[in-house]
Amino acid sequence: MSAVNERIDEIVGEFAELEPRERLELLLEFAEKLAPLPEHYRAQRDAGLNRVHECQTPVFLWVENQGGRVNIIADVAPEAPTVKGFVSILADIYHGAPAADVIAAPADIVQRFGLTEALGMVRMRGLQAISQHIRRRVAESIAN
Amino acid sequence: MAKEYANPEVLVSTAWVAEHHADPNVRVIESDEDVLLYQMGHVPGAVKIDWHTDLQDQVVRDYIDKRRFAELCSSKGISNDTTVVFYGDKNNWWACYAFWVFKLYGHKDCRLMNGGRKRWEADGRAWSREPEPNYPRTSYVAGDPDLSIRAFQPEVLKHQQKGRPLVDVRSPGEYTGELLHMADYPQEGALRGGHIPGACNVPWSRSVNDDGTFKSPKELEKLYAGEAGLKRRAPVIAYCRIGERSSHTWFVLQYLLGFPKVKNYDGSWTEWGNTVGVPIEKGPGPKTTDLAASKSPETAESTS
Repeated sequence: MSAVNERIDEIVGEFAELEPRERLELLLEFAEKLAPLPEHYRAQRDAGLNRVHECQTPVFLWVENQGGRVNIIADVAPEAPTVKGFVSILADIYHGAPAADVIAAPADIVQRFGLTEALGMVRMRGLQAISQHIRRRVAESIAN
Repeated sequence: MAKEYANPEVLVSTAWVAEHHADPNVRVIESDEDVLLYQMGHVPGAVKIDWHTDLQDQVVRDYIDKRRFAELCSSKGISNDTTVVFYGDKNNWWACYAFWVFKLYGHKDCRLMNGGRKRWEADGRAWSREPEPNYPRTSYVAGDPDLSIRAFQPEVLKHQQKGRPLVDVRSPGEYTGELLHMADYPQEGALRGGHIPGACNVPWSRSVNDDGTFKSPKELEKLYAGEAGLKRRAPVIAYCRIGERSSHTWFVLQYLLGFPKVKNYDGSWTEWGNTVGVPIEKGPGPKTTDLAASKSPETAESTS
């Protein structure tokens, strides 16, 4: 089992132990853990580059690929903690993973955290779009 | 031109809420786009009502029915005579949506905290991170849906055919039909882009100031009666993509400007733009307001 899948299972387990309402608290903890955008990316963000256009909330994303291992760098507006928490989870899961493992990660990853009840289908669709965007960007980082 | 809002009592300030949030006959309700904001900090004593998971039926595309609305209110400690005060993120758009649903089921005393979360923060008022309070249960009795504020598609079609006024409150790009051509745009989709023929375009966010509060009565009058040419006594239908931005405009027209016959078409573009055979117009309509005047980024509607 890849490190990506192991980390997914760990986080899924953390959410599964909680009541739906407590799951939101955990999601908020992830939101608060997302690392601030490194200084050298800020000019790009301020110029509107690397914005995730699938997402109405301002989300900016960079995929670093060093020696085939990826690192997701993201910046999400503080007034969108749900998206921020979710991006933080994905950045955690994919941190340092081989690009191939990210691409091979389960397509339904978004649904696995037991958040559908608390967030509702419409929000889940938005998160699914972000997840797909990250995967696509990782695939591009190999092609480049 | 109006000097005062038509129903000034419906808008309350953050100062009023700070003073009255603990009154036993007042219940403050937070409704947001982002489901975690309440957890991050809310008005002390406020309860949370989510537009999607609480107010919408999760199977049928509709609001919760009368029985479940009554159950929701009872569980939040809201009585029929409670003064409910809504506030939220994004210039109160979801707060207006919740306000509209409460009016749909006949709740008498609904108010809106002018400026929402943004203004509460700007005024330097304290946020609470306490878990949602449990108020004593009530025995709420909901009324039958008040269809004088809700329009269904057949009525909208007749309204359109008679050339009656419609307000499309989406962003100019959605109105002209350009936005659906964006690649990979997974928003609540419609198969066709454009607008209902004859509808004028007044993006909802033009009714608010930078601090989230509503524009002055004079400015609102100028925007809707002047620029958009809406006649006060004529029946007006507002729509957007799923009916929430238009509930914000419904609030402005009905409560702030005092238009007597305003309906929200909650089926909105996700119904109209997916319906076989209904008329659609593309491009800037005859009464499109100055597109360049709209600069708010919060004009499109997605939950991500």
